[in-house]
Amino acid sequence: MSVIRRFVFGQNPRRTAVRVLVLAAISFITFRWVLIPIRTEGSSMLPTYTPDRLHFVNRLAYGAGGPARGDIVAIKMAGPHVLYVKRIVGLPGERVAIAGGQVQINGTPLTEPYVRHRRPWDVEEVILGQREYFVVGDNRGMSVGDHDFGRVEIDRILGRVVF
Amino acid sequence: MRRNAAIVLAVAALAAGAWYFLVPSGGSANVGARLQALSDLINSSTVDGVGPEARGAQLGAFFTEDVDVDLGQGTAPIRGRDTLIGMAGRLQPRTAAFRLRFEDVTIEMAAGEEAADVHLTAEIMRRSITTGDESLDAREFTLGMRLVGGEWQIARVTAVDTLK
Repeated sequence: MSVIRRFVFGQNPRRTAVRVLVLAAISFITFRWVLIPIRTEGSSMLPTYTPDRLHFVNRLAYGAGGPARGDIVAIKMAGPHVLYVKRIVGLPGERVAIAGGQVQINGTPLTEPYVRHRRPWDVEEVILGQREYFVVGDNRGMSVGDHDFGRVEIDRILGRVVF
Repeated sequence: MRRNAAIVLAVAALAAGAWYFLVPSGGSANVGARLQALSDLINSSTVDGVGPEARGAQLGAFFTEDVDVDLGQGTAPIRGRDTLIGMAGRLQPRTAAFRLRFEDVTIEMAAGEEAADVHLTAEIMRRSITTGDESLDAREFTLGMRLVGGEWQIARVTAVDTLK
C-alpha cells in the first residue's frame, strides 16, 4: 500500500500537490487563452485540412505584426467558440479579384500551390481597407455559392492555425 | 492558522468575484433562458410528434407580432410573426433532423430592462432526408428583444456578414 501511495503522491505529497496545481493552472491558461484547440468541420479547406481533425489556434501569433499572405487563420463570429478557418490571400490596401478561379492581387495572378482543383469563380475586384484582409478556403473545387470567403477586419482574426 | 484563514478568505473572494462577473443575473439571465427555451423547442420539433399548427403556436410565442427578420443579401426581409411561422412550417419537412445551438451569446440590457440587444452565433446541424448526410452551418446574428406581457420576445433578427 505504501508503495502505491508513494508512487501516486511521491516522497513529499505537499510538493506533489503543488506541482499538480501548477501544471493544471498552466494547462488551463495555455489551452484557454494561448493555444486553443479546434475541430474542423466542412470541406472548404480541403485538401490542406480535412474535416473532423483537431488543430490549434495560436492566439499570440500576431502580437508583434499582422498576418502574412498564405497564413491560415481562425476568424471569430460572435465569439471564439465557432470559427471560420481560412487562408489569407489579400493584405490591407491591396486590390483583390478572382478571375476564372485565379486570385489576382493588384492585377497579378497569385501563385497558390495549396490549391488542387479550381472552378472558374469570378469575383469583382475589391480594395481592402487598412484593417482588412481577404480570406478564402483552399477548396476552390466547390461551387462559389457554397464557399464563404471575403474581406475580414483584423479584430475578428483570433490567431494563426497551427499543427 | 491565521495564514490559512487568509488563503481561504482570498479564494472565497475570488470565487465570489468570478460568480458576480461570469454568471448572468436578472434580465440578462431571463433573456438567455428564453433563447435556450427557443432552441430546445426547435430541437424537439422533429421527435415529439406535435402537429405543425401546435408547433406554430408554440414558436410564435417567441416572436413579437411585428417581428422583422433580415437574413442578408439575396433574401427578402420577412415581416410579421405569421409570415415567419408560415415559412418555418414549410421548411421543416425538408430535413430529417435539425439541431440548433446558440453560441457566444452576449446580452446587453437597455435602460429600464424592458428591451435587450443580443449578439450570438447560431450553429445549425442538418441531416438530409434523402442522403442522411449531416452538414453543419453557422451564422452570426444580432437580435432585438422586447419584454411583452412578462415574456421576452424577439422583435428583430439581423444576419451579420462575418466575411464581407
